[in-house]
Amino acid sequence: MVLWIPLVTIALIWWIFSQSQVTNLPIGVIDEDHGAVANTVVRYLDASPDIDVQKFYHNQSDAQEALLRRDIYAVVIIPSDFTTHILSKNSAPIILQVNAQYGTHSGIIQKSVQSVVGTVSAGVEIQQLIKQGASPSQAAIDYSPIKISRISLFNEATNYQQFLASTVIPALLHILAMVIGATTIGRELRDKTLGHWAQFIAGQRQNLPVSRPINSTTSITPKPTKTPFFILMFGLLGKYACPTLAFTIWAAISVGLASYPQQLALSSILLTYGAQVMLLWLSFWLGAIFTLATFSLRTGLSATGFISAPSYAFAGVTFPYIAMSQGAQHWSDLLPLTHYLKLQIAQLQMGAPALLSLPIFFGLTFATIIAMLLTTLLTRRALSKPDRWGSR
Amino acid sequence: MAKPIATEPSYLGFWRSFLQTLKDVVADKGVLLMLIIAPIIYGFFYPWPYSSEVVNHVPVGIIDEDNSSLSATLVRYASVSPQLDVKRFVTEADAKAALWQNDIAGFMVIPSGLEQNVMAQKSASVSVVGNGGYFILNKNVQFGFLKAVGTVSAGIEVKKSVARGAYLPTAASKTQAVPLTIVPLYNQTEGYGAYVVPAVAILILQQTLLMGTAMLIGTWFELRRHQSSIRGWLGRIAALSTISFVIGCFYYGWAFDLHHYTHGANLGGSLLFLLLFCPTVATLGCVLGLWFKKRERSLQILIFSSLPLFFISGYPWPASQLPTFLQAIRWLIPTTPAINTSVQLNQMGASVSQVTNGFFSLAVLWLLYGLLLLWFCLKDNQVQYKP
Repeated sequence: MVLWIPLVTIALIWWIFSQSQVTNLPIGVIDEDHGAVANTVVRYLDASPDIDVQKFYHNQSDAQEALLRRDIYAVVIIPSDFTTHILSKNSAPIILQVNAQYGTHSGIIQKSVQSVVGTVSAGVEIQQLIKQGASPSQAAIDYSPIKISRISLFNEATNYQQFLASTVIPALLHILAMVIGATTIGRELRDKTLGHWAQFIAGQRQNLPVSRPINSTTSITPKPTKTPFFILMFGLLGKYACPTLAFTIWAAISVGLASYPQQLALSSILLTYGAQVMLLWLSFWLGAIFTLATFSLRTGLSATGFISAPSYAFAGVTFPYIAMSQGAQHWSDLLPLTHYLKLQIAQLQMGAPALLSLPIFFGLTFATIIAMLLTTLLTRRALSKPDRWGSR
Repeated sequence: MAKPIATEPSYLGFWRSFLQTLKDVVADKGVLLMLIIAPIIYGFFYPWPYSSEVVNHVPVGIIDEDNSSLSATLVRYASVSPQLDVKRFVTEADAKAALWQNDIAGFMVIPSGLEQNVMAQKSASVSVVGNGGYFILNKNVQFGFLKAVGTVSAGIEVKKSVARGAYLPTAASKTQAVPLTIVPLYNQTEGYGAYVVPAVAILILQQTLLMGTAMLIGTWFELRRHQSSIRGWLGRIAALSTISFVIGCFYYGWAFDLHHYTHGANLGGSLLFLLLFCPTVATLGCVLGLWFKKRERSLQILIFSSLPLFFISGYPWPASQLPTFLQAIRWLIPTTPAINTSVQLNQMGASVSQVTNGFFSLAVLWLLYGLLLLWFCLKDNQVQYKP
């Protein structure tokens, strides 16, 4: 579980978004005009890489039916008086009906159709200006005196693999690390072998506890003698050594994939890697804390699921942090993933200097140390209450 | 032949099995939490970040290097845009630093000499810098600035036409020859929560039902109480589906309403969908329970699966973009047909005949899971009675 699930997960997510540009979303057209400009619009729509004119419809109800069946996600309507309006130099609107329930599809279609119609509109206007006697180059300037050069800094081509996959993978590793954190210590509690384990790390027993039949009624070890704090802490570090090692490798793959095609400063990559290792290490302790605090692997896992599974939605990547309600922002601030992803996006996508994100790294490190100490304290508490072991 | 270990296979009939399952669910805190309490809490918790729905007043920067009356007009128009919340910066480096700190989501640079160029009828441009790392914010930044600049630009265009002798109203009406009117259907406010939550609700319904069911069956397996007749299994599935059906009604009828999402467009169809969806998922849960064999295992395996399952469902990410192999195997999971079918019925108001594919896929899945369950039971019996 420590080995293959994270690896498969990373591969799966990278694979899901391997086609990083959305292409050929199906749309329909109702052309009631059939004029020359209308034909140009249809031709441009078809040439647009994001969308694909799947079918022409003759009436609204056919198009509606196709929308409801999800054969198409939008329909472009060119009204019958379109050419007449253009010839009489009136405004000649085109209508786009789009299935806004499918937010991603709708956003992409709106952008593409808008740009096609904008191009056609500019052409029509420039033609009209030329007819009025302007020179072609002057007409182009007059048509739009102030132009906008749009620059999407970082992630310019709106690459979904970079945007989604590189943030979803750390989110999933975070969930998995919490599950493993809860399981590693929770199994000893469930199987009532925690005392045996504590005696082993204190050097009072030779062998590690083996898994026992669950639901056995007696605890094998009676209340153990008190284990010193630091022995317990190093024992815990040892207990989590194997998953820690594994996840440092998964984090390396995850950061590697996220930064692979870009030219980035080494300091940015290293800082992101360090922060992700901290996040995952912190996740182990958090999973352990929820389990130890409730004396039950099952509640520890439930709490893990409740907190970590939706944390991506609260992290501000898909839906902006600033648009969240105050309460949701506070919750988002409490989640380690929010801070980690803020660092990752600043470092790997925006090319911010490493120094700028250092506070987040220190914050994660500090939280990890606190969580580790808390885990040790809770383990000590759990050791002193053997009557509560074995809770399911 | 040794006798099988003394167990009490609960070969109860349909109704007794039904009632026994309900009793066990209520008596088991863990299963109760997963099956009933968790989905109810999620009904409030998951939509929480999206309560404001539409993103407005995005903080942006403006660097005015022109300091002319034209640039002042641009700044004024950008400032009054409801989509933007404008801060002034002196240099581009300052604005970039603010962008890195997430203090602003983008900025516009008005280069020096803009007004002169416009007056001299030369080409002139401003640049807008957004952050492609955050899609929704970037869209707001680009669109907000585009509108402000477009309005100012159109004003100049009109003035010029008038100067050339055009009649003012004609000139003003004509600034865009072919405007595009966008009509958003179904989710008419284009809210983010109204887009994502109705789909995620189905995913939550599936995941909690799977985890709860597999936990219950896994616990029974530990106690060697899991065996039953076909009728008994049907009773169990019916009991678990009933609970899930009620939760589904809670989402459709109450949670969506509370958050003002479009819902209930085809209520009859939606309920019919739940009647098929819930037993399908419950049956899969039973199969997983028999496979996992342990109480906690369902949590360990299924917690992380929600995000990937959502992405392959075809809802947030067009299914046609997925690798071919994934496009095929994703149909083995109930949410793949279920999310789209539910949204088509409940949010878009499609008729049942328009979503027959979804219903058909779910029915086939149910059959498949049923056969798997049968296979697990038969295999288990063989193992039990072996010497």
